[in-house]
Amino acid sequence: MPEALSADWQYVLANACYLGEGLVVTIELTVASLLVGFAAGLPAGVVEVYAPRSERAPVRWLGAAVRNAGIVLRGTPIVVIITLAFFAFGISPAFVAATVALGFRSAAYQTQIFRGAIQSVGVGQMEAARSVGLSQLQSIRHVVLPQALRRSVPGFQNEVTIVLKDTSIAFAIGLAELLTKSYDLFQSVGHTTAIFELILFVSAVYFVLTVTANQSLEALADAVSVPGSEGQ
Amino acid sequence: MSDVPLLRAENIHKRFGDEQVLRGVSFEMDTQDVQVLVGSSGSGKSTLLRCINRLAEFEEGEVYLDGTPTSEMDVNELRQQVGMVFQDFNLFAHLTAVENVTLGLRRVLGQSKADAETRAMRELEQVGLADQADSYPAELSGGQKQRVGIARALAMDPKLMLFDEPTSALDPELIGEVLGVMRDLAEGGMTMLCVTHEMGFARQVATDIMFLEGGTIVEHGPPEQMFDHPEHERTKQFLERLTTLHGDHG
Repeated sequence: MPEALSADWQYVLANACYLGEGLVVTIELTVASLLVGFAAGLPAGVVEVYAPRSERAPVRWLGAAVRNAGIVLRGTPIVVIITLAFFAFGISPAFVAATVALGFRSAAYQTQIFRGAIQSVGVGQMEAARSVGLSQLQSIRHVVLPQALRRSVPGFQNEVTIVLKDTSIAFAIGLAELLTKSYDLFQSVGHTTAIFELILFVSAVYFVLTVTANQSLEALADAVSVPGSEGQ
Repeated sequence: MSDVPLLRAENIHKRFGDEQVLRGVSFEMDTQDVQVLVGSSGSGKSTLLRCINRLAEFEEGEVYLDGTPTSEMDVNELRQQVGMVFQDFNLFAHLTAVENVTLGLRRVLGQSKADAETRAMRELEQVGLADQADSYPAELSGGQKQRVGIARALAMDPKLMLFDEPTSALDPELIGEVLGVMRDLAEGGMTMLCVTHEMGFARQVATDIMFLEGGTIVEHGPPEQMFDHPEHERTKQFLERLTTLHGDHG
């Protein structure tokens, strides 16, 4: 341990492995929540765009249900959602409760990302696909979504950042993620003075994670961009 | 060939909200006919084309393809048999030229990748774009995009091709290449219904010209009659004006 470091910094470094366990949980929770959000948000985005114009009443009802569920989820604080999931609905273990809460909240936001991206694809694309004889679902799958997904990357970058940082809310149900672990450390007897160092350290870790995630998505967007068309 | 017309539109009425766009349009086309549909902007030309492949629904009337009412056909099957070319090309922006053509062959007709590519390359050759097969739409000129659009429609082996102002979005120097492809198609015996302002093309290629105004077909007839001895003064004025504006690309 370098002599120049203060006792508090030495305490942080000595517990790097302990914090590392929290980091693993943070990353796992981020990935799991984003996957739940994507799996529910992409179809919900499609439903929000196309269901209201359907000729079939049950499809229109589904559209209304999806829209209203989204409004409720987006209008509820994440702390409320996560404590409801864990304490009121009794979902356990805490990791699953946190994944459900963050995942569904993310689904509500991702729905809007995909809805906007789908609506930005010109109606002429759908018309051309239908005029060749593709069904509406085939047209969505093979023509609209490939273009919409490319356009949803900037919004998705935002969402990744939000979910990653909001995993710290799992602190409220005692899940041993990064923030909870640092809390445990500065609550230990004799180490309460390390609070500043611990919070600064943990913040730096979140920062590095968000920057890395954003740059990875940037690289992905470049890799799948359509030649000749700027910014898509 | 039977004596049933390939296409028969009967008394089509179409409304957008309060606006009655089509007020009882009827016409017929036989195989290998090239009909040119003209009319002022907002007269319902594009809407009429869309009623034929049912991209637009209409309130009254019927369209028959080969004697079958299209309202009784599966809409996706109808559209395989009726190709459409759009003013704004509407090429699938994320797919190369050849992929634009193979999409329908693979997903609608269920062809293998290899078969679809062979067929697509043949269509691209026919429109003179085999060397651009791997280019994306954003890398093509307007004229090239429209020729890919034509190849995409032709690949489905349609009985009838609808052209919705195929050259209106093109720079003047690119119009000729698209009209050239359309002329070749007509000579090859394709049945075509074209909304266009290109009067040189209409005069030389059309078997019949229809003048749509006020939601009805005011007058129709072979080009010589329509250009030189129209029955209605309004037809004469309209075609003269179009010829002055758009007569020299064909």
